[in-house]
Amino acid sequence: MVQLRPRASCTPAEADAMVDEGQPASEEVAEHGLLLGQPSSGAAAEPLEEDEEGDDESDDEAPEELTFASAQAEAREEERRVRETARRDKILLKEKRKRREELFIEQKKRKLLPDAVLEKLTTTSQTNIKKSPGKLKEGTTHRSNLSVDLQKKHEGHDKGSDSKKAGTQKVQPGSQNKSYVALRLKDQDLRDARQQAAKAFIQNSLYGPGTNRMTVNKFLSLANKRLPVKRAAAQFLNNTWGAQKKQNAKRFKRRWMFRKMKASGRVNGS
Amino acid sequence: MDAFGGPIWSMTASPSGSQLLIGCEDGSVKLFQITSDKIQFERNFDRQKSRILSLSWHPSGTHIAAGSIDYISVFDVKSGSATHKMIVDRRYMGVSKRKCIIWGVTFLSDGTVISVDSAGKVQFWDSATGTLVKSHLIANADVQSIAVSDQEDSFVVGTAEGTVFHFQLVSVTSNSNEKQWVRTKPFQHHTHDVRAVAHSPTALISGGTDTHLVIRPLMEKVEVKNYDAALRKITFPHRRLISCSKKRHLLLFQFAHHLELWRLGSTVATGKNGDILPLSKNADHLLQLKTKGPENIICSSISPCGSWIACSTASRFFLYRLSYERDSISLQRVPKMPAFLRSALQILFSEDSTKLFVASNQGSLHIIQLSEGCFKHLHTFQPQSETVEAMCLLAVSPDGNWLAASGTSAGVRIYGLKELKPHCTVPAYNFPVTALGIAPNTNNLVIAHSDQQVFEYSIPDKQYTEWSRAIQKQGFHHLWLQRDTPITHISFHPKRPMHILLHDAYMFCIIDKSLPLPNDKTLLYNPLSLTNESDVIRRRTAHAFKISKKYKPLLFMELLDERTLVAVERPLDDIIAQLPPPIKKKKFGT
Repeated sequence: MVQLRPRASCTPAEADAMVDEGQPASEEVAEHGLLLGQPSSGAAAEPLEEDEEGDDESDDEAPEELTFASAQAEAREEERRVRETARRDKILLKEKRKRREELFIEQKKRKLLPDAVLEKLTTTSQTNIKKSPGKLKEGTTHRSNLSVDLQKKHEGHDKGSDSKKAGTQKVQPGSQNKSYVALRLKDQDLRDARQQAAKAFIQNSLYGPGTNRMTVNKFLSLANKRLPVKRAAAQFLNNTWGAQKKQNAKRFKRRWMFRKMKASGRVNGS
Repeated sequence: MDAFGGPIWSMTASPSGSQLLIGCEDGSVKLFQITSDKIQFERNFDRQKSRILSLSWHPSGTHIAAGSIDYISVFDVKSGSATHKMIVDRRYMGVSKRKCIIWGVTFLSDGTVISVDSAGKVQFWDSATGTLVKSHLIANADVQSIAVSDQEDSFVVGTAEGTVFHFQLVSVTSNSNEKQWVRTKPFQHHTHDVRAVAHSPTALISGGTDTHLVIRPLMEKVEVKNYDAALRKITFPHRRLISCSKKRHLLLFQFAHHLELWRLGSTVATGKNGDILPLSKNADHLLQLKTKGPENIICSSISPCGSWIACSTASRFFLYRLSYERDSISLQRVPKMPAFLRSALQILFSEDSTKLFVASNQGSLHIIQLSEGCFKHLHTFQPQSETVEAMCLLAVSPDGNWLAASGTSAGVRIYGLKELKPHCTVPAYNFPVTALGIAPNTNNLVIAHSDQQVFEYSIPDKQYTEWSRAIQKQGFHHLWLQRDTPITHISFHPKRPMHILLHDAYMFCIIDKSLPLPNDKTLLYNPLSLTNESDVIRRRTAHAFKISKKYKPLLFMELLDERTLVAVERPLDDIIAQLPPPIKKKKFGT
């Protein structure tokens, strides 16, 4: 690694030199001025000048001498320092992660049901599966869903779900001493989606765009149109026309009334 | 039970009655076994791409046809695989962006599949080869229903424009054996979509969105020109949907999914005959009771004192207690009603509101004693051993001694309530009973049948009354017998034992038993001008049947007290205004 010598700033020294020497330094001023005018005129100009100045002032200020050994030592020091900091950071991070993991495990444990209830659930589900071998096809698939879900629960997979949502299709009330019905939310979503699709289909196919339907008003007014004395439609007025305008008018009227009341109040008061 | 295929679009039973097929939203056709106590899933057929909207079995039970969107599949029942897939054109000889929905399919025994679809076509397919044989374009809108007769020589289709077409299998020439299907008769009796049709041996029955049920007898099948041979259009229900609490002037309206309780308005003004008086107090909507779930309300009733409301759906029975503070009313449900009260066909309270009579659909009659907020099951009259028939109508005598119950076929049974034992049975009649009523002091049971006959039976004497025998001997006026809506309610005046009040959908009548009976030559319906004639003429032409057609269509009419009568009208235009939109029809000049 190359270490650059620290350089003293040249310009203030030159300024002093100018002031001290006065007139005879005028040629030098011109010279200096040239130099000053182009302060960054190049590294080549400066060493010459410095040599002159170094000679002018004293002989103490010798350029620093750096041996290769010392430089190497310095470099090694730097490296070691950097390595040390990196290691310390890693250790700190590790510790942090460990603490967080422990915290999460604690929280999970707190959220799950006490072990006693879980035990009860698993045992009853096992007995239920054994009791009903001859159920319908759908029935058995749902029982297997139940056991899978309970396993997942044991692993702590099912975060944030109550016992009601987590897996039982139907719990026999007698065996549990509780009367509730637990449903899977995923099934309900599928059921709802299918029902929506069916309703939308029948609505679209019978009354949707492309079907040639007329309004009930028109249907009831058809007879009126063909009478010898033609009559108006069954529903002649359209009360929804100009709703915004009517609303604005109402608001304006309210404000105007209020202003009037205030004005008359003031007149009466004063 | 859940079929796990999504919403079910179609269902059909096999010709043998032991299997059931359903078509689901996800395109699967599922087969179920019907056993005596339950329905069990057997297997799935090949799953199709779009929803199965219609199904039909071949009469032999070996094949089925399933109509879907843009195609019809023919399945083999044994293997469950689709043998043919017949693609339906979206439009008759043309292209269209709208998909063709097969609303109905029928499988005939010679292997022909008849399909009706949303493009307005009726198509005949050959199921052995899976090809189209013939196509008829009959409408500009959907054809939504199809029904075949038992002999498979005629079928009927209903369209969305309200037209019903009759197709018949006729021979090509008069002495050839070759036959073909020909569209013979169009009938336009509906204004909105015809969603269901049925084919009986002598008539075509159609019903649709416009709430009419139309029965059109086929004239070539009708032998005798009688009451049955006329076109029948049924608009209003043939049972009572309104009950009344006389003491508090309340009316309970029964809708499909809710009950409404209204208090009648009152007036202090007076006027002469024919005036319309202004109300000093308007009618008040007091209560609306909604039932949860998709089931309809079968029957409902309010007690004469106004403190109890009972209603029954297919799976539950509700009993509510009402209490009236000065101006407000509060409702309390009586919990834990017994299970045998479910799906009751008729509910009736006794005159003093202490007993509740429930007729169940198993044929038994339950008597419940009501007291301050609780109930007690008093007695059940079990059905007679031979037949299990539903008890359809009930009537109780105002003094609380007798209860009359009518079933569908046997005669009206009368039970004594003091001893809780059957008393007697009115002789059976071949037409069903449409209304029952017991008179206050004489305890005469008045029975109205669907062929417009009215009988009066004296309960204490266990025989028909003199007046009843007289009118049976003379016969009713021919105009009375030609009315087409049945009598739905009978009531009596508390102070005039000679009067019977009856009403049907288009008239109400007061029968005065003291006046002479009309014969066929007299005018049945009293003209209005008669009121201006002199007294002598009025007395000469007066007869027992005083009929008024002022309020129609009439849903309910009852005497509230000696001087007040309440009548509830249901205008047809109100119902039509709430129907879904019909198909646009271009009429000349509009």
